[in-house]
Amino acid sequence: MNESSAASRWRVRARAINAFLSQFLHHGGAQLGLFFMVIFLVLAAAPDTLVGPLETVATATGDFLSPPQRQHVLGTDEVGRDVLNLVVHGARISLTIAFLATVISLIVGTTVGMTSGYYGGKVDVWLMRLTDFFFVLPSFVLALVITPVVLEVIGRGRDILGFRPSLFVIILVIGLTSWAFVARIVRSQTLSLRERQFVERARVVGTNDLNIMLRHILPNLVPQVAANSALVVAGAIYTETALSFLGLGDPLQPSWGTLLSLAQRAGAASSGAWWYLGAPGVCVLTVSLGFVLIGNALDDTFNPRRRAIP
Amino acid sequence: MASGASKGSTGRRAWTVLTRAVVTLLMVAVVNFTLFRIIPGDPASLLLAGARGSMTSEQLEVQRQNWGLDKPLFPDQILAYMSTTLQGDLGYSFKFRGRRVADLICERLPATVVLIGLAQLIAIVFGVVLGIYAGWRRGGAIDHVSTATSLALYSTPPFWLGMILVMIFSTGLGWLPGYGAYSPSFASVGLVDWIADRISHLVLPASTLALGLIGQYVLVARAAMSDVVTEDYMVTARAKGLTGRQMLMRHAFRNSMLPVVTLIALNLGYVVAGAITVESVFAWPGIGGLTVDALNARDYPTLQGIFLLLGVSIVGVNLLADITYGFLDPRVRQ
Repeated sequence: MNESSAASRWRVRARAINAFLSQFLHHGGAQLGLFFMVIFLVLAAAPDTLVGPLETVATATGDFLSPPQRQHVLGTDEVGRDVLNLVVHGARISLTIAFLATVISLIVGTTVGMTSGYYGGKVDVWLMRLTDFFFVLPSFVLALVITPVVLEVIGRGRDILGFRPSLFVIILVIGLTSWAFVARIVRSQTLSLRERQFVERARVVGTNDLNIMLRHILPNLVPQVAANSALVVAGAIYTETALSFLGLGDPLQPSWGTLLSLAQRAGAASSGAWWYLGAPGVCVLTVSLGFVLIGNALDDTFNPRRRAIP
Repeated sequence: MASGASKGSTGRRAWTVLTRAVVTLLMVAVVNFTLFRIIPGDPASLLLAGARGSMTSEQLEVQRQNWGLDKPLFPDQILAYMSTTLQGDLGYSFKFRGRRVADLICERLPATVVLIGLAQLIAIVFGVVLGIYAGWRRGGAIDHVSTATSLALYSTPPFWLGMILVMIFSTGLGWLPGYGAYSPSFASVGLVDWIADRISHLVLPASTLALGLIGQYVLVARAAMSDVVTEDYMVTARAKGLTGRQMLMRHAFRNSMLPVVTLIALNLGYVVAGAITVESVFAWPGIGGLTVDALNARDYPTLQGIFLLLGVSIVGVNLLADITYGFLDPRVRQ
């Protein structure tokens, strides 16, 4: 009896997931977004097998700023490095930064939002004032002043898990400054979940607050958080690109933003080097467009009346 | 967007909005104070004498006393920092040979205000008109084209768009100047030429910023409009026999403006981010250019001053938007 009810509950859930997937995958925007995402995930997963190791000034073979040709499909940069090589390796750096920063911001945002909404009262007031601060001041502006100071404090030497510390500074700073949007959404959702019967019942049975939050409220937040996480990724890519463009990225592990910064310094726009300028820019554009489309599609599917794009 | 409608009186709402703004500003000041004091090394030498010899010893001594750098961090230093900051004293820059940060910022501010103001104006006019139209005729050809374009613009880093525009219109076609705010050679020519020169320098950076913003305004105005169109009062309006144009002007437009007003304010942060990078592309002599110089030279006092300015202006504009929102929508005030 008990087993069959568990099985039927599982069947209901599977059916719901199937219905969601079929609706989501039929969304034109979602298809395009997933297509872009898969391409770049492949590039990021295996850059070495696709284009060989990251070229440096020492290993560069091409002419300076030469336009696309058979040997260098996307041309070369001002020191003769292959732009295709740089852009493919840039995918790994840019996406790593964006994903890790998003994970941090989702964790912080969900924790703050859930705590604030669940406890209410003074906790809510103070946490929301904190959120206001991060919400009003855009993560780019905060990151702009925090990054150079933190870089100064920890220095640029050594490396952690194959990445240089300055990369982690960027990840942490973006993650810790871009959670406010998530916190607000989670809080308003928690406020309504808190009043539902299943939470009431759990409380009467004597479940403690932490367990109620983790086992009863958190699972119900997943759709909202998922729909907005794609937008957080797009935002993180934007912030990373802008910071690196201003010279806060790491020149030895170039992201697309750093490449654009190098292109700007090399005068790519005024010498008409469209390949050098175009390649990293198109990458940023398609990746963030992909995530925006996925986010929109998720939001449409979960919640057809509300759109995620602000 | 605030979800629960506040049920208090107008006074109470104003009070909440105001305390929020003040708390946020205090946090800006605290971040500004602590951040630049965790840098390794003696804060006095970092904050004052980054480039030794660039400041006279009197300037250094005055600043040391003003900021109480020999006293404990809390409460002496932070109070000293607050009071000097309130008096408009932002300290001295490392990079610019010991010049006052407040003076540097005042010099650069007008160029940025002109650029951002013009870009916002263009973006609001075009974006709102296009978005309203797209939402009104949802599913039509213009809707599809403008929504797709807006999504693409929304995902494009504005500075990259700027570099592309420079490559096309300045390097390629040679129609417009690609950098700076004026041509030095025009200094002594007549007024008309002077104005034409200034405008020609504004076209590319302003349209770059505006294009980045238009996408957002189109998307928001369109979403707001498509919500409004399905409301009951629109059905009533139609039943009363109003023409489509009357319905659009009398009911739909006003109601779909609310989210747009909120966005304009929230957008300021985005505009500032865009402006800093776009100014850097066009060598525009504004706050953005100053920020980049300060970043590259690790000119902390200047960065600190710029952060304060950005913080104050963003908080201020959001406060203004909250108030405007109350006027536009009586339900928020009640």
